[in-house]
Amino acid sequence: MNENLFTSFSAPTILGQPATIPIIMFPTLLIPTSKHLINNQLTTVQQNLIKLTLKQMMAPHNAKGQSWSLMLMSLITFITMTNLLGLLPHSFTPTTQLSMNLAMAIPLWAGTIITGLRFKTKNFLAHMLPQGTPTPLIPMLVMIETISLLIQPMALAVRLTANITAGHLLMHLIGNTMLTLSTINLSTTLLTSVLLMLLTILEIAVALIQAYVFTLLVNLYLHNNT
Amino acid sequence: MPQLDTSTWFTIIMAMLPTLYLITQLKLLSMNYYQPPLTKNPNLQTHNTCWRPKWTKTYLPHSQPQQS
Repeated sequence: MNENLFTSFSAPTILGQPATIPIIMFPTLLIPTSKHLINNQLTTVQQNLIKLTLKQMMAPHNAKGQSWSLMLMSLITFITMTNLLGLLPHSFTPTTQLSMNLAMAIPLWAGTIITGLRFKTKNFLAHMLPQGTPTPLIPMLVMIETISLLIQPMALAVRLTANITAGHLLMHLIGNTMLTLSTINLSTTLLTSVLLMLLTILEIAVALIQAYVFTLLVNLYLHNNT
Repeated sequence: MPQLDTSTWFTIIMAMLPTLYLITQLKLLSMNYYQPPLTKNPNLQTHNTCWRPKWTKTYLPHSQPQQS
């Protein structure tokens, strides 16, 4: 067991070429398009799910906020697909890459902030200070709130990365333990395999929840700024 | 943590951007978002008659193939 635990998170290469490009672009193929009025079951289920999420997420927004719905829906679709595909054995999960999550989080966050600053300057600046703050605390609180504002995209990206990475590591560790135990003690192996199965179910849930959380937080920043 | 190795960042980001774009523009835009049918007030519907209710036009037009 000298294998490095983190090898599955390094970007894979095939014959020296980066294999990340086809891996990241693969989920696009899983969303079939069709021009027909009545579709097959897969497309219908996907459309219904996307419509359900769309209604859930975009209901509290005004018309300006709702113009982001296509972007946010594609974001949640992409993250869900990548997370779920990454749970397959021997596969590479692009959402464990901090770079990709940062590249998704920073522009979206910056977009909401710029919208807020441009169209709702007063409202935006009012978020910098909670109501009813004692006067001596005001400079301190403004600084803290500014820092918490600037840290938002980092937190967004790191949250997704850390959750997915931790889940994969845990599954990796328990899987290895199970393999080692299988030569020693059968009953413990069975117990571990039950644990691994439960953990896998948890990871499927986490994959869905983290995609939802990422989009929900972008949604929240958007809501605060429109 | 191999995620912190910045040499692969450019490739990953440059692959992520067109994927998101493709999902947005090609996949989700072409989806059918059905609107629930709305009920219309039947009294408000205007019938398209081929003659006009003007005082000069008290007659029907010459017999022509029926226009819908």
